[in-house]
Amino acid sequence: MISIPEVSNQHETLEWRLYRNMLVTRLFEDALVRWEQEGKISAQTFPSKGQEAIAIGCCAALEHGDTVIPSFRTRGAMIGMGVSVAEQLREFLHSPLAAGDSRDAPHHSSWPDRGVMPGSTMIGGHLSLAAGLALAMQLDKQNAVSVAFFGDGTLGSGDLYETMHIAGAWRLPLILVCENNGWEMATAFSQVRRTRALTPYAEPFGLATRSIDGNDALDVYHSARWARATARDGQPVFLDCLTFRLGLYSSHSGEVRGAGIENELAEWETRDPLKRMADWLIRNGIGRNEDLARIEQEEEAKIEAAFNTVKGEG
Amino acid sequence: MSKLTYRDAVGKALEDSMREEPRLIVIGQNIAAHALKSLADRYGVERVRDTSISESAMVGMAVGAAMKGLKVVVMIAYADIASVCHMAIVQSAAKLHYLSNGRLNCPVIIRLPIARFRGHGPEGNEVGVSWFYNVPDLNIAMPGSAGEAYWNFREALERPTPTLFFEDRSLHGRSGEVADQNHGCGAQITRSGDKLTIIAAGRAAGLAEDVADEIEKEGKRPAVEVVSLGFIKPLDKETIFRSASNTGRVLIVQDEPTWSGYAPFVRCLLDELSPGTLRCAPRILAGADQFLPFWDERPFLPSIQSIGTAVREFLK
Repeated sequence: MISIPEVSNQHETLEWRLYRNMLVTRLFEDALVRWEQEGKISAQTFPSKGQEAIAIGCCAALEHGDTVIPSFRTRGAMIGMGVSVAEQLREFLHSPLAAGDSRDAPHHSSWPDRGVMPGSTMIGGHLSLAAGLALAMQLDKQNAVSVAFFGDGTLGSGDLYETMHIAGAWRLPLILVCENNGWEMATAFSQVRRTRALTPYAEPFGLATRSIDGNDALDVYHSARWARATARDGQPVFLDCLTFRLGLYSSHSGEVRGAGIENELAEWETRDPLKRMADWLIRNGIGRNEDLARIEQEEEAKIEAAFNTVKGEG
Repeated sequence: MSKLTYRDAVGKALEDSMREEPRLIVIGQNIAAHALKSLADRYGVERVRDTSISESAMVGMAVGAAMKGLKVVVMIAYADIASVCHMAIVQSAAKLHYLSNGRLNCPVIIRLPIARFRGHGPEGNEVGVSWFYNVPDLNIAMPGSAGEAYWNFREALERPTPTLFFEDRSLHGRSGEVADQNHGCGAQITRSGDKLTIIAAGRAAGLAEDVADEIEKEGKRPAVEVVSLGFIKPLDKETIFRSASNTGRVLIVQDEPTWSGYAPFVRCLLDELSPGTLRCAPRILAGADQFLPFWDERPFLPSIQSIGTAVREFLK
């Protein structure tokens, strides 16, 4: 039985929440890149533009006590777990109120009491951490799950296979969520891997697998609900979320995928998860264009206000 | 106070910790059915867990479990294998407390038995302590006696940062007294003397004690003081300085090459003593700068003979 999360206000049905959290992620990351260009912040940003549905859809499916470890490109997991823009900005700006004292790189900032755990800059290094969290949940009979996000470049990391090897054998409540965007920085997957599809990598380890449209927040959400139930009941899960990076590799490196990327970008722009969620709301008579425009303005203003507030804390 | 072998002291430390800490688990290979069978029988295979040969994930999982408040002992088969899980030790375990701004602790012990003199060859007879000496927040224990083995282990589980526990299997049969009280990370003066201080850890400390006993028999009086470090990080500078100031002569013995490790570090620290405190320059006696052949490792390592020779030169 899948329970629908509580509705916090008239707009916050599940669908509205998915839309708003994806929107906030997009606007916040746009602002981070802009602020960096303007010299207002110094940390580099790895925008998740085009991939927001994966983190937002997954986190909406989680429950109290569950944990996530974001990849360096999963800011949506922080938003999705309820960490405010201001709290995140405190880490960027080394506010005296920064919970982590700005020690970890802002894309790895953690809020353990909120279920956002520290990850690793070593690609794949955080997967065994997530398995350890899952082991603790299993031993404590906590009825919770541990989620790790990672890109498909991580398929080359030995730690992924060690983690799946143990998690499968021990039936850990672990969900591995791959943001499969087909690129490892400037290298296309086909140069370093035989197949785009990743479920065959996980099945032999005893993980339940599902290939999903990573640009459809509702598909991600329902798949993550299934994954949560499956993992909690004793079979770890691998979610292969097909997506594409619509933004920069990072604010420092820019676009690195070389000539010819324009066609692929244009094609994936039509599958932009934020736009698709907006279309869904309109098509189903839940939202109107003017509602969406107003929400975007509100969220933009809140992000700017958060920056000014946090700046003032120093 | 009780008398135990080094091996039994480590075993008792683990068993006492498991009894007192219901959320302490042990992970490793061949432990539930073999190495720690009695613990598995008593506390269950949920807490004494056999893993696949996946050292990197084992250490990573210990850190993840620690994030939820568990204490974890990771059993690595022998010390050389620390190279396989170096990333997880340095990046994940050592940095957790720091990068979480103290919001998360990592009371994890990584047991790294030193497996020399067993014919393992150059990939199985290293110490490797020095590989890790420059990592902040990484505690390193090198117990040289049963008492240190017991209390270094117990202390490690009370610390917010992880500990590499280098127990030396060549000391397993050596007996010693185990005190009733934890002395924290402090060094122990295991032999008292007034002419020379030997500073050492692990097997080297045991050798130093044997030499001190020999010299005492020869000279009918205790001349050599031995400072057994136990924890080489954190390092008990106070005890080192006190002993060095009392004897005025220092020999540092290290059971691996000397490019890094506690020997060159302590040697540098001694420069902080006021001029004239030491009667002569401190000396380091360390392992040769080479890998150790399977057929005989001893010629390349400190021994009772080589330490004895160095001591007699000091005392001339």
